[in-house]
Amino acid sequence: MTSATGLAAPVDVGEVRITVGRPIRLALLVGGDVANLAAARRVALASCADTVLAMRGADRTTLIERASALRDARADVVLLVAGVGADELAEAIRLAYGEAAHPVVLVSGPDRGRARLMGALAALSAEAAPPAASSYGRDALVARLRALRRPTGDAILRDESVEAAARALAVATSRAVVIVDTGSETTTLAFSAADGSSFAASAHVGVGANADRVVARAGIDRVRRWIPRAVDTPALLDRVFNRARRPEAPPGSALTLALEMAIARESIAHVLAECERAGIDLAPVRLATTIVCCGVPAAWPRPQQCVLAVLDALAPETLLVIARDSDDALLRAVGQGQRTAGDVSALLRPVAIVATLSPRRPQKITVSDASGPVQAEVSRGALTLIPTTGAVELRAAGTTKATADTLELGVVLDARGRPLALPPRDAERIPALSRWTTALGVLPEAGAS
Amino acid sequence: MSWRFGENAVVHPIPVGLSVRANEGQAVRAGEVIAAGTVLGSPIRVAGARRLGVAAADLPRVMRVATGAEVARGAVLARTGRRFARAASAPIDGRLAHVRADGDLEVAPIVGRWAVRAVIDGTVTVASDTSLTVTGEAWCLQGTAAYGPDAIGELALIADGGADELVPSRIDTKLRDRILIGGGRSGAEAIARAHACGVAAVVAGAVPAAGLRALFGDDVDAHGLATRADAPTVLCLAGFGSASLPEALYSPLRVFAGSRAAVHTASARLFVFAPADAAAMPATPPVVAITDDWGAVRAIEGSVTFEPSAR
Repeated sequence: MTSATGLAAPVDVGEVRITVGRPIRLALLVGGDVANLAAARRVALASCADTVLAMRGADRTTLIERASALRDARADVVLLVAGVGADELAEAIRLAYGEAAHPVVLVSGPDRGRARLMGALAALSAEAAPPAASSYGRDALVARLRALRRPTGDAILRDESVEAAARALAVATSRAVVIVDTGSETTTLAFSAADGSSFAASAHVGVGANADRVVARAGIDRVRRWIPRAVDTPALLDRVFNRARRPEAPPGSALTLALEMAIARESIAHVLAECERAGIDLAPVRLATTIVCCGVPAAWPRPQQCVLAVLDALAPETLLVIARDSDDALLRAVGQGQRTAGDVSALLRPVAIVATLSPRRPQKITVSDASGPVQAEVSRGALTLIPTTGAVELRAAGTTKATADTLELGVVLDARGRPLALPPRDAERIPALSRWTTALGVLPEAGAS
Repeated sequence: MSWRFGENAVVHPIPVGLSVRANEGQAVRAGEVIAAGTVLGSPIRVAGARRLGVAAADLPRVMRVATGAEVARGAVLARTGRRFARAASAPIDGRLAHVRADGDLEVAPIVGRWAVRAVIDGTVTVASDTSLTVTGEAWCLQGTAAYGPDAIGELALIADGGADELVPSRIDTKLRDRILIGGGRSGAEAIARAHACGVAAVVAGAVPAAGLRALFGDDVDAHGLATRADAPTVLCLAGFGSASLPEALYSPLRVFAGSRAAVHTASARLFVFAPADAAAMPATPPVVAITDDWGAVRAIEGSVTFEPSAR
């Protein structure tokens, strides 16, 4: 049974400054098989480094081409993973930088292979690290990269805090937790299961300064498909580019708000896609029973905006609670190391219980709150919101499925099916999106432009 | 976003294959070559230390040519001085591109030449084989984003005002090697025509993002694209879509018309080489902001009222 109860005494949150940190441009030079490349990508994701180059020893490129690509990448850090072909990559590093100012060079691998590479790169003051494919090696590399991003020794990195918060919440609630943090420049997704297994992934895409990167990576059509009205693609590009250069501008119309939500969805989708490239199994993420929203979506004034964006992007497949961490209270508490002083789940604002359904025939769901029971019949393809007040109980087929002390929004019944498929044609897609946004009351009706 | 006269530092990255570069302290002028080198083809690996029977660390002692030097086919690259001499020689005409850590040599054919030109009058303050920094005084206008290679030329004003659009019909080959000031907006068609006519660069208040994609590819983003390829040079001063430039930004351009100028694309700056007292600047910098639908950029002049956001 899913529950949003158990709110303990609030944690006293002091003044803690959480920072995104310095952006690190990371070049991955990987010897060996594709598993090594996946391991290196996982390091980059976990450390919130911006991967500007990924090159394998097995690639059919010349030494000159490799060195040119490396120099053009303007990397701050080069991660060289030992394996077949790594010697050639080490030579490319030597040719690219020579005796000039060079980036931080990290050499990762088992002792024997690493020693040879370290010898070749001695003039570049290369740093040794354990194999990236091992958990201890990954932790060591992530810690080093985060140290490089930290502006001051005691600064708390946002992605680090999100990861710690996911772990703390999973321990406090004994449930699998996903935290999604979408900001102006970065998007972080952290997962932690009740058994302690966890991962975090961040990418340099966001709804503000890096909104244009979402378009460059995902394509403008993927952003456009989430907007519930006909929009001219070139004009949409102008909007995204202007937004990226002026991230402080608030949405001034319903269209720009819908665009911000669309970019948030695709930012999260990009992180998920990067996780898959890095070989991370996403099935547990879609089965997590608690999703917490942080960052810009959590600050959206209508809770349904945050709920719909998360539902569309993550496409959860189970009964779950969506909560939001407004004002970064959770992140600051965890960053300050106060998770032992109280229940961190007390800092969250439960927004909605979401039941993901795939009924073959209309299914009856009963939702009880302070106003009494309400029965809803859910048909395939529908997205329904049942607003609630006070304590909430959700029953299906005569059994209690979920409870909550209080919810900001209510119960959302999502019968749109999984994977969530949007019709490709505007004539079918726009009415579907309009139905969903209207059902949840996502966009302001007046002043829409 | 305003005009400023002062000292500016410009960093020039240097590609692989450097042959010659300026030294620290050297005075340079915008447009002058400060580094030159060769584009190298697929290198050929030549046995070095192991063929000569020396340790890799001792190879520099027996090298006959410096790394980076041009060599003819058969030229001796390294040679031991014993009675029964052993030598490593160049298998092709080209350059000794690299000496490997294990003592082998890489000789690469020359397939092209490149040159890096200064974009500001000044002095080389930092010089290394990977980058050069030139520092000098000039009028500077910081733009939003720039695309294409760096450009140097004479400023030419062909728009009537800060809100006007650059019209393709006003561009011809007489404007070759000029930096065109295109008013509030320049479309892809005008930019492509300008490039075809040999125009050095187009500076405009805004350029449609879709037009930039048509000119520079789908990977282009809002943060600019510095390239060495043969492509137009575009400097967006205020943003994307359309814009109206405030008079405080546009009127100095009328004064500067005819002056030497340069566009540094990596930092999205326009430099104008004119005396410090050539133009009078307003005490308060002009303000530009995006419209409420984010589709354009407008100058904010006069009184302003704020409306609540749509959230």
